[in-house]
Amino acid sequence: MDPSQLQSNELAQFIAQEKERAMVNEMVAKLTNVCWDKCITGTPGSKFSSSESSCLSNCARRFMDMSIIIVKRFQNMQ
Amino acid sequence: MDAFSSSPSSGSPSQQFSASDFKDQLKTQLAQAYAEEFLETIRVKCFDKCITKPGSSLSGSESSCISRCVDRYIEATGIVSKSLFSAQH
Repeated sequence: MDPSQLQSNELAQFIAQEKERAMVNEMVAKLTNVCWDKCITGTPGSKFSSSESSCLSNCARRFMDMSIIIVKRFQNMQ
Repeated sequence: MDAFSSSPSSGSPSQQFSASDFKDQLKTQLAQAYAEEFLETIRVKCFDKCITKPGSSLSGSESSCISRCVDRYIEATGIVSKSLFSAQH
């Protein structure tokens, strides 16, 4: 067997996994960026208030909900 | 042959760049790029929150605001990440 062929399948899979990992990281980073602005309105304290932390987790989930609605609506227009 | 534990020294000294070298380098570079982007975001956010009127030096309250801000931003990243990846409806 040609070792370079074995490697290129393995590498393709590795690259696909790393790409997915990078996309997930990017999504988390973007959501944190957006939700920080929405939820942390004052000066940062030594811990989050409970309303700040629930705002952050709600924000992330509602953003994802919204993304699904947007895609569906867009698909309905095609 | 287990490709994932390939040892680069199994061949001649002039062995080419191996798959595992490539994977290690890619992972390292991705991690570095991610870390740099993360730091840059924190710089922008914490400058906005803590340095409202730049003076001739950083005041004590500005410095402690920055420390808290960094901690909170890291915590916020964890909260967002957890809320996305723990199934909860």
